[in-house]
Amino acid sequence: MDAQHTPEKSITPTYKDEQGHFHGDTTTLFGRTINMNVYTVVFLALGLFTIIEVLLFELPRGFLTIPLMLGLALVKAGLVVYFYMHLNKDSRLFAVALLVPTVMVALATLFLLIVPSGY
Amino acid sequence: MSDVSQTVGIEQTPQTPLPAGYPHTKGAQAENLKFAFWLYLASEVVIFATMIATFIVFRFNNPEVVKQVHEAANILLVTANTFLLLTSSWAMVMGLRAIQRNDQSGFIKWFSFMAVLGTIFVLLQYVEYQELAHLGIAIYNQGNQFDGFGMRFYAPTAFHGVHVIVGVLWGLWIINNARKGAYSSSNYAGVEAFGLYWHFVDVVWVILFTFLYLV
Repeated sequence: MDAQHTPEKSITPTYKDEQGHFHGDTTTLFGRTINMNVYTVVFLALGLFTIIEVLLFELPRGFLTIPLMLGLALVKAGLVVYFYMHLNKDSRLFAVALLVPTVMVALATLFLLIVPSGY
Repeated sequence: MSDVSQTVGIEQTPQTPLPAGYPHTKGAQAENLKFAFWLYLASEVVIFATMIATFIVFRFNNPEVVKQVHEAANILLVTANTFLLLTSSWAMVMGLRAIQRNDQSGFIKWFSFMAVLGTIFVLLQYVEYQELAHLGIAIYNQGNQFDGFGMRFYAPTAFHGVHVIVGVLWGLWIINNARKGAYSSSNYAGVEAFGLYWHFVDVVWVILFTFLYLV
């Protein structure tokens, strides 16, 4: 294969076959085929999760409210990184570049939380 | 035409073949550009995460202050802003999809839509800052009920806002290039690098929205 075409193949969720037809205009979700491209499906999911987050904020808080909101935020961030930033297609090295500083700061935050407040 | 190097006395080096694996192909250069961009984003992660960590520690030690701000803040406005940024991210990736299909006009339309949404985001953030200032939430709030909150809130959100402004300007520059026919289905590495930046800005906002405004 021509080297010039290699990155296209690796980063492109939609591609053209030999007959000139584009693929990637449908998305398979839980075994069902949806007549929408994956980017639009992800966008709708992001919107839905945001609405759920705001509803959780408005409702009286229970012990699960904050973990749920944090979980939804992480899922939303993960969806953007995985699909929109193409980590589902690209080298895992890119994911490592993102994860290493994230984990380091997360650990540092947890460590800071055990330090007594000074004021 | 005479050789300039001979005229000015520069010693010519013989052309040597590039070693195997050297990134001389367009595909390898695009991959290297992306990796370099991911490393840049990793440095951004450290900056944003440090500011968010500072807020989390404050939130952990001063839950009542944060609760008061949450009750006073206009969550509807911030939610609208969140949707603007999510939609702009979608527009960005749809624009990339368009150029991958060599759809030049579609690419420019999606990118223009993205730039408009980014601009509205910044304007609404200004409105939000004005509202917060009227509530008495400033960068320094010594002595009142919001003591210590302002700097920990404004630093990450303003830093993010600057990223949106830079992103809009960068997007406009790409639109200008696209109008001159700079991108095609076989040449869009610059568009993709910008896409990584814009989506990263979106991811940061997703995290800021939850940690600063909701939790």
